Amino acid sequence: MKWVGLENYIRMFETPDFWGSLWTTVLYVLGTVVPSVILGLLIAMLLNIEWLKGKGIFRTLFYIPVVTSMAAAAVIWGWLYEPNFGLVNYFLSWFGIKSIKWLSDPNYALLGLIIVGVWKRVGYNMVLFLAGLQTIPRTYYEAAEIDGATSWDKFRSITLPLLSPTTLFVVIMQFIASFRVFVSVSVMTRGGPAKSTQVITYYLYENAFRYLKFGYASAIAVFMFALMVVLTLIQFAISKKRVHYS
Amino acid sequence: MRKKPHIVLRTTVILLVLFVAILINLPFIWMLVTSFKTEDAAFTIPPSFLPTIFDFRNFVKAFELIPLSQYVVNTLFVALAVTLLQLVFNSLAAYGLARIRFKGSSIVFMVLIGTLMVPPEVTMVPLYVIVKQFGWINQYKALIVPFMSSAFGIFLLRQFFMGIPRELEEAAIIDGASRMRIFLKIIIPLSKPALYTMSLYTFLAHWNEYMWPLIVINDAKKQMIQVGISQFVSGWETQWTMRMAASTTAVLPIIVFFFFVQRQFVEGISISGLKE
Repeated sequence: MKWVGLENYIRMFETPDFWGSLWTTVLYVLGTVVPSVILGLLIAMLLNIEWLKGKGIFRTLFYIPVVTSMAAAAVIWGWLYEPNFGLVNYFLSWFGIKSIKWLSDPNYALLGLIIVGVWKRVGYNMVLFLAGLQTIPRTYYEAAEIDGATSWDKFRSITLPLLSPTTLFVVIMQFIASFRVFVSVSVMTRGGPAKSTQVITYYLYENAFRYLKFGYASAIAVFMFALMVVLTLIQFAISKKRVHYS
Repeated sequence: MRKKPHIVLRTTVILLVLFVAILINLPFIWMLVTSFKTEDAAFTIPPSFLPTIFDFRNFVKAFELIPLSQYVVNTLFVALAVTLLQLVFNSLAAYGLARIRFKGSSIVFMVLIGTLMVPPEVTMVPLYVIVKQFGWINQYKALIVPFMSSAFGIFLLRQFFMGIPRELEEAAIIDGASRMRIFLKIIIPLSKPALYTMSLYTFLAHWNEYMWPLIVINDAKKQMIQVGISQFVSGWETQWTMRMAASTTAVLPIIVFFFFVQRQFVEGISISGLKE
């Protein structure tokens, strides 16, 4: 190894593949954050219903994908996505949707990974939301009911504002987790087809351990880290005024 | 007290929750069903939700095709070694940070917390270079030594230790007990729940680990289970019944185990909110 100054960084910013992987990562992050946070909140609200029985067992069931390994999950989803005999295409055929080559069609491979990513994280977000929901006193809702508030009123005026610190936390955690996506890509698509799923961690991995360009790969790693720190700071800054801390 | 809502609404909600629970776990149900099917039965449309064979044929074949039992033993060894070492080193470090004031102790703590923000993907290249220089490629040392302690575990235990009343220790100090004795006889017995939770996280994380063994282990016989079951062996790609049997081997023990320990696990997450 020898000292090359900023050469690795300059080369990185001049490489279309680097920008491509960054764009793919952005798409993956945006594709996973919104649904996994919203679904996590919805499921948490279902489980937070006062009179629902068996909450503990349901919470455990929803959490199973979180504790199992992404590697095994990716193998299983590879089978679910099988174009001719996979369960996903079978269900889609009920709605008249023709067989999709989930992992070998560049138009669908990233969507396939996004679905797996959301599925794997919903339970985690649910648990965080559930903890947040349980801190909201029931009396607030009861008072609102006396004033004749509808369910939507209560959700908009009590749940959402009082839950905003939790939401901020969930969004940031999900952002970081999505940004780090690697295992599903490595097992299911290896960055393909046609680089359509080459996210930044996989680009880093390939450069380091396939092409053995450790210097270049380290530049990507530093860039990744800097980006994550900046994103976190921006999110905190934006939400400082909008988040309600009781 | 509020009135219970109408029976129709209650039933609808329960059915909805049940539906979501099944949907979320459908991949695992499907994995299990497929692992008990013949090749022919697995490749039919419409697919059948019932198993067709009632023995462990696919498992036996999977264990023959890839060294699956070897993977299980390897991974158990590494995950248990890491967990035991972390119990020792994390608790010692956490006690030091919780109770002993030394010059720069708050800086040490801040740096430690700071490393929680650095994801492993960022440090994997330098870590690999170090491990390679030590000549540890293809050795379990590479999987164990870098993870002998963890910032997350230290943080978790430190927070717990801080909550233990100092009076308990002060009484022991007056009686002339040493720091080590206090640690072993007072702090550790009182911290069993936290140590238990930390051990669960650590064991699970290392049983499920994929990226790092993929990088530092190339010898098939020494491989960890997650890499072993997901790597492509020739003729393995389309053998879905066997691949599902192999996945079941990696996943089902964890799911069963999780049912027994879920309380500590999920509640630990609501408190710390730090680790998956």
